[in-house]
Amino acid sequence: MSGALLYVSLVGFGFLTGGAAGLLGVGGGIMMVPFLTLVTGLSQHAAEATSLLVVLPTAVVATVVLQRKGIGNAWLALRFGALGAVGGVLGALVALSLPGHVLRVVFACFLAAVAVRLVRDGLTSA
Amino acid sequence: MADRTTDSSALAAPVASAERGRLDRRLATIGGAGGLLSGLLGVGGGVIMVPLLVLWAGYRQRDAHALSLGAIIPISLAGVITYGAAGKVRVGYALALAGGSIVGARLGAGLLARIEERPLKLVFGLFLGAVSILLVIR
Repeated sequence: MSGALLYVSLVGFGFLTGGAAGLLGVGGGIMMVPFLTLVTGLSQHAAEATSLLVVLPTAVVATVVLQRKGIGNAWLALRFGALGAVGGVLGALVALSLPGHVLRVVFACFLAAVAVRLVRDGLTSA
Repeated sequence: MADRTTDSSALAAPVASAERGRLDRRLATIGGAGGLLSGLLGVGGGVIMVPLLVLWAGYRQRDAHALSLGAIIPISLAGVITYGAAGKVRVGYALALAGGSIVGARLGAGLLARIEERPLKLVFGLFLGAVSILLVIR
């Protein structure tokens, strides 16, 4: 894919990702990184870097919308997120010393267990 | 070590209040875990922060999503600075994606403000299930 069509698909995919991110409370990197590597052919690192630059304004817009509606607590979130920024640097250092596939499988098992629990909670009475 | 700020009833994980606004040890740990995962896997960290905020810290699903989005701001900012310094960012692609995503984020966050707790749990659970599969087959 190249030229105008590529950019149209990027805007369209961005719209879908942003909508999902705002509803699901995530940044959207987990959707954008595979898209960027598969569709645009970016390397894993370039895709992650590009995705983070999209996640930032997406999270800002969603947080402003929610803060205006009185949902959550933006100041509290920014403070514990600042600790996360420190964790991110440590995580990047650890990632360099471990095989990536092992990390992904362990994390996938954790998410699958949480998914089962949440779907069950969503289907049964609260 | 005893936590002087948390009474024993808090261990039963009642519905925590985002309005209370205290940065306790659990929130600090969740922020750290979200950031750590972001660094490890190159994602924003919301996928781990939301489940921990709900199942461990006892926040309502909606509040957890809102808190996660706010926490992603400093986490992604640190990532952008780190990667930006390495010259990896494709600015043209990022601008096109962001142009779509900020419009989508307004709509998504607007829906989050209105959706009921149970369907929100269901949608998020299905999303996590899909992510767990994606992580393994990628």
